[in-house]
Amino acid sequence: MEPITLTPPPAFGLTAQQLAWLTPYFFVLGGSCLALLLSVYEATKPSISVPATIILAFLGGIATTLPLIEQPPTLLFGGMLIADGFTAYANILFLISAAAVTFFSRRYLLNQDLEHTEFYTLIALSALGMMIMAASTDLVMIFLGLELMSISVYVLVGFRRNDRRSNEAGIKYYILGSAASAVMLYGAALFFGATGTTNVQVGAIRAIQMGMGQNALLIAGLLCILIGFLFKIASVPFHMWMPDVYEGAPAPVTGFMTTGLKAAVFITLLRVFSSMVSVPALSPQAMEAFQNVLWVSAALTMFLGNVAALQQTNIKRMLAYSSIAHSGYLLVGLLAGPQSHDGFSAVLFYVVIYTIMNLGAFAVVSAIAQKGDTGLELNDLSGLSAKHPGLAFLLAVFLFSMAGIPPTAGFTAKYYLFYSAIQAGQVWLVVLAVLCSAIGAYYYLRVIVQLYMREAIAGSPLQNWKPSRAAVTTALAAVILVLQLGIYPAPALKMLRLGPAEAPAGGAPAEAPGH
Amino acid sequence: MIPVPVPVILSFCAAIFFIGLAGVLIRRNILVVIMSIELMLNAVNLTLVTFSAALDHPHGQMAVFFIIVVAAVESAVGLGLVIALFRTMRTVDTDQIQLLKG
Repeated sequence: MEPITLTPPPAFGLTAQQLAWLTPYFFVLGGSCLALLLSVYEATKPSISVPATIILAFLGGIATTLPLIEQPPTLLFGGMLIADGFTAYANILFLISAAAVTFFSRRYLLNQDLEHTEFYTLIALSALGMMIMAASTDLVMIFLGLELMSISVYVLVGFRRNDRRSNEAGIKYYILGSAASAVMLYGAALFFGATGTTNVQVGAIRAIQMGMGQNALLIAGLLCILIGFLFKIASVPFHMWMPDVYEGAPAPVTGFMTTGLKAAVFITLLRVFSSMVSVPALSPQAMEAFQNVLWVSAALTMFLGNVAALQQTNIKRMLAYSSIAHSGYLLVGLLAGPQSHDGFSAVLFYVVIYTIMNLGAFAVVSAIAQKGDTGLELNDLSGLSAKHPGLAFLLAVFLFSMAGIPPTAGFTAKYYLFYSAIQAGQVWLVVLAVLCSAIGAYYYLRVIVQLYMREAIAGSPLQNWKPSRAAVTTALAAVILVLQLGIYPAPALKMLRLGPAEAPAGGAPAEAPGH
Repeated sequence: MIPVPVPVILSFCAAIFFIGLAGVLIRRNILVVIMSIELMLNAVNLTLVTFSAALDHPHGQMAVFFIIVVAAVESAVGLGLVIALFRTMRTVDTDQIQLLKG
């Protein structure tokens, strides 16, 4: 192989525009450092000042990201990070999810005797990891962001440290998550060996120039990276950790994992996948093999996720399987993306809607959860509508939305996703997806039957309690968004189509030849 | 001195990596599993250094420093979780840690 000349990186002095792109990162990093200082300074009442600081940092991050959406794409740190509309949307999504979780988990932590202020700092650091990961075009940066995100969440999952279930969930997630990161990293090493760079887009262009469409090293590397991603989004056959972890983790952490974490991994996968598609680095046969792997994985994920959810009696565990099923739908959209008119915008819309409805559902679940996360069995929920009609209604709307029943946003999102898959010619996959959604409706509706049509049973842990106001506020905001995007989705769709549809592929540092 | 050919070193790295992966999947003691994860990460480091030397490109060696730092952080968190687990369960055997299933 010919020696590769090293191009000197541009100077590290940042222009004003680059600095503007980095401001949200500084906000989150600064906020979490400040929160760590405040948490040992009793005079500031850490139990109030720390979450307040973190939420302000998140809001500052959102406020500074909003004006950047329309800005032209920029490269940061010598092409390690890319800042474009896609990055801006992703950052806003992560920050909203993290801010909402911080907001409604304070009362939860107080109720559960888990009041340790590190919780909020870990959420902030994890959000920072997501923001880094979703913006990176370099495999080393992706790894660093991924680890910052995951390591914080390993601790959060095991946060109830005197509880066996939480400990077990933490250790399971840690072991399988680290092993998956190591596999992904091995893929990155092989990618580096084949192309001489760890930058995804530069590597893809070099692969074309050197005619490496069938290069075994490159294919093995990409396969390892794909396995790492499939593991992190819990698609079959790498899904077995997810139900255990979701059940054992404290409820707001589970909410954070289904929303922010999953969106972050999926958005990064989208970026890597779209740059591999837009620059046809692999030969058509190799590309087809990869698509077949994704096809099989998507089909199995939808099917197994929905079927396994049917038998669950714990709502957190049921939502975990439902989350696996939704990963399957997202994979369908990912496969269809390159051939459909709107590219990946249907997938992005789905990710956004999925995040909103899950945030709402887990806000309600966190409000219901009694000490030690009891009271979340389906039997415990029976007759909830009699005592707490508002809460039962909110949960019911989110469940309808996850099942994809109009006029909720879940329906619109599914509609656009399957529509784009049909445009791309994935008819069989869509037929399967619709059948699986029909199976899915059964277990979502079963919860609603419990809420509305059963009498409360005696001896349930849900006796005298009041839902926290923060959780209800969060759920209310989410419900408004779910209904609004369900009835009138056009503005949101138009917004997402403008920016990200072209951005992940079009904003490449060195423009790809052709395409 | 005759240099060791690159494919030999790479095969060695791959062997170490898969020994580590097998350890994660097969071994029952969590401490051994954490050691196996370290083995996987170190196999990756060795691969990167080998490619870096073979391609005469420093990027791989640079990545190794990041990986070493992350691996240290990761094992610190992992051992912390193991201690918390041992306090409540009095075991580090994965066969006996099966509260969550179904």
